[in-house]
Amino acid sequence: MKIYGFNATTALCCGALFTAGALFGAEADFLSEEDFYEEEVAESAPVSDPFESINRYTFQFNDFVYLNLLQPLANGYQAITPDPVEESVNDFFDNLKYPIRLVGNLLQGRLKGAWVETGRFVINTGSSLGFMTPADGIEMFQAIPSEDIGQALGSWGMGEGPYLVLPLLGPSNLRDIGGYVGDRTVNPLQEPFSLIDDWAWEVRLGIGLTELTTASPALLDRYLQLKGAAIDPYSALRNGYTQYRRAAIVE
Amino acid sequence: MKYLVPISFLFLSWLAPLAHGNPSESERLNRVIAAAIEAIYGDCCIDKTAAEKQAMVREVIEAEYDLDVIIRRAIGRSWRLMAIDEQDRVLELVKQLVVKAYVKGMNGKERPLVEVGEAVPISEKRMEIPSTVILEGQALNVLYRLGRMQSGWQIYDIVTEDISVVSNYREQIDDHFRKGTGEELIVKLEELLSKEDIDENIRI
Repeated sequence: MKIYGFNATTALCCGALFTAGALFGAEADFLSEEDFYEEEVAESAPVSDPFESINRYTFQFNDFVYLNLLQPLANGYQAITPDPVEESVNDFFDNLKYPIRLVGNLLQGRLKGAWVETGRFVINTGSSLGFMTPADGIEMFQAIPSEDIGQALGSWGMGEGPYLVLPLLGPSNLRDIGGYVGDRTVNPLQEPFSLIDDWAWEVRLGIGLTELTTASPALLDRYLQLKGAAIDPYSALRNGYTQYRRAAIVE
Repeated sequence: MKYLVPISFLFLSWLAPLAHGNPSESERLNRVIAAAIEAIYGDCCIDKTAAEKQAMVREVIEAEYDLDVIIRRAIGRSWRLMAIDEQDRVLELVKQLVVKAYVKGMNGKERPLVEVGEAVPISEKRMEIPSTVILEGQALNVLYRLGRMQSGWQIYDIVTEDISVVSNYREQIDDHFRKGTGEELIVKLEELLSKEDIDENIRI
């Protein structure tokens, strides 16, 4: 009887363990849907947006300008410019932003980045005045993520401050506005702190407009794509901008 | 404005899922990507209307993956704020919106090249698979996150150049529910889907 009793108890325990094991095992096999759907997203990007109502108005203003001024400009430019020319001109203006990338790297102590950017600038400028990017073909000088002064400020631990939508320029935040002013300071072609003082304002304006024109097709296409897929384009842009900048700083 | 590159591509990458962790998952994903691209760019489909292409792309994807998973993740806790019929309708409308934006967005562009990397197991129930997409001469890193659900491995997030599509949509939906209702969300989505002007302009 004792043996039978032992067996019965053992069987009962084993049964319970087996059932529990099966249950736990089943849970361990896949994610619990309800918890999974509601868990925090790793890249969740809560943003301080105390000026949301003003920002939304500015967003709408920008939207109007993009669709009614930038779009015709982009369409016209694309219609008369062959793709290779478009690409070359974009490369040219990108090359001119070398000082921003150089300073952005140096301020973060990224000497290797500064070296690569310098190498790319020398190679691309020397071989084609920046209209092409032969440096892409050299392993040591392949393109690296672009750095700017706003990223440097972030890497120093400066908080991003409130989210802001700037007229014409689009999404930003207080820290990035500071970075933007810094970027312009080291950009030899741009005001207010251009290092080239003897250029007439007409020349600078012409350069600025040319740069805007050449960049407009890509910018507008992307903007329209964003709008087309977004439930709330304002929120989509705010979140996307913030995620992008935070990741750029961490990297 | 360089942030616009990954943000805009975020929506294009939504429907280019991939899975790995083992060769069969990788093959499965590659099959889906190839079939979705073929549905847009293939000889078979040149004369198809945008609506027909959307239907084909959706069919290809849904044959392998459950889009509800990523959309439910994007909706997050706001899911509970909707009635059951609203939940079903929102799921359907978001799917339509994303598929439509994807197909329209690829229209007129060169056929993208996709290179899928090896899976990186995060845990027994999660994995990540990196990939590179070359679209219009621009290389973008797209990371796919997969979770093991009851229905098998499913994509639960897509991260393009460090921007999570789930985080992006969740913020939009959370913003909506701070002041709005499920019914209003449905109206908004229906309006978005009926706006032909937006879609016709997209030439990414």
